[in-house]
Amino acid sequence: MVKKITIFTSDTCGYCHMVKTYLKAKGMGYEEVNLDRVPERRAEAHRLSGALTVPVTVVTKTDDSQEIIVGYNLAKLAPAVN
Amino acid sequence: MSEQIKHEVIMIGAGPAALTAAIYTTREDIDTLLIEKGVVGGLAAVTDVIDNYPGFAKGVKGLDLADDLRQQAERFGTEIELAEVSELIKEDKLIRLKTTAGEMVADAVLIATGCDYKRTGIPGEEKYYARGVHFCATCDGAFYRDKRLVVIGGGNSAFQESIFLTRYANHIDILVRSQIKASDVLQKEMQPFIDQGKVSVHLGVTPLEIVGDENGVTAVNGTDANGNKVEFKTDGVFEFIGLKPNTSFLRESGVRLNEQGFVITDENLETSIEGVFAAGDVRSGATMQIASASGEGATAALKIREYLEGRLHNSELRQLEVNP
Ligand SMILES: Cc1cc2nc3c(=O)[nH]c(=O)nc-3n(C[C@H](O)[C@H](O)[C@H](O)COP(=O)(O)OP(=O)(O)OC[C@H]3O[C@@H](n4cnc5c(N)ncnc54)[C@H](O)[C@@H]3O)c2cc1C
Repeated sequence: MVKKITIFTSDTCGYCHMVKTYLKAKGMGYEEVNLDRVPERRAEAHRLSGALTVPVTVVTKTDDSQEIIVGYNLAKLAPAVN
Repeated sequence: MSEQIKHEVIMIGAGPAALTAAIYTTREDIDTLLIEKGVVGGLAAVTDVIDNYPGFAKGVKGLDLADDLRQQAERFGTEIELAEVSELIKEDKLIRLKTTAGEMVADAVLIATGCDYKRTGIPGEEKYYARGVHFCATCDGAFYRDKRLVVIGGGNSAFQESIFLTRYANHIDILVRSQIKASDVLQKEMQPFIDQGKVSVHLGVTPLEIVGDENGVTAVNGTDANGNKVEFKTDGVFEFIGLKPNTSFLRESGVRLNEQGFVITDENLETSIEGVFAAGDVRSGATMQIASASGEGATAALKIREYLEGRLHNSELRQLEVNP
């Protein structure tokens, strides 16, 4: 079961838009961390994903385990949030 | 037999070409499905600002244009399936598509899959992919605030994306293997950044290797026009060396492609397979602009309508022959 979803995004990133659209269509809420607005959280996104890219989606389950999806990757995102 | 998902038209891709075509077909009540593997809006959606699309005096954000195109198409009933097409098979009267969301069939298909970035293939590119080597400035630029960057390429994309990256990076070295191919307009837009010392353009440089350490990329090594070794210290590399058509899924389909893999069409935008049309950047002879992709999308939609009407007419005639 999903407890919380956090998406690291930027103002201009089209793939971030797709992740948000996908979650909205599924009726799922999420917290958005826009790295253009809060650049100080870039290091956190990098540490979690190991990558210098957005979107990074962090899916926290009810048992507090986390799945981290780098980029817009439906093959990984869909099972992680279902 | 399991239930088939059948549509009158399936459009592969949801960039400006297919979205425009879908506005036309659905507005005429032709049942239309778009299949998109990446971003709805295509390359337009990952471009920061588009200055030369007609109707927007002040330019338009790529994401906004993409969103408006999608909403306009959906207003008339367009459906968009988020999936990837892996094969196109022409059957007797239908065209079958294998996709990651299952098999689908249609009376007519529009191929509007556009292009993807070419890669240099040099050592280090794969190793540091998304950790210092990037292909999308609007996605990854934000990580390079006050850092040094190398951009590889000398065409429109390389210049346009470098101008975007100047809002983050403190210095950009643009490595151009031969001559600058970017338009005069973009070169003019770039000039102030060169004058300020924020951007340096290096002609005749061939990048040979991207090197780094456990923290990421540290330099690009290559040769200059005289064959001497050169090194460009950097925190990240963005590659924009041109585009290749997204047509690998057509390999076994019988759709004729040119030497570079672009789809060959006739004056009706129909391919070598009856009922299969192509529009936009993926088409041989395309001019790689949003306005032309949209224009071709509109043309393709009207030709598809003619094709479907012709089929209907022929099948009614056949019915009359059987049951006069
Ligand atoms: C950096 C950059 C800047 C640009 N700036 C401008 C500009 O300022 N003005 C301008 O007019 N043009 C510009 N262009 C060009 C413009 O973006 C393209 O001409 C236009 O997007 C082409 O539209 P299209 O619909 O043919 O293809 P695309 O926009 O490429 O869309 C094709 C879609 O098909 C999808 N697809 C591919 N294969 C499959 C598959 N097998 N299954 C399902 N879906 C698939 C892709 O994911 C993509 O979303 C720019 C391009 C780039 C790269």
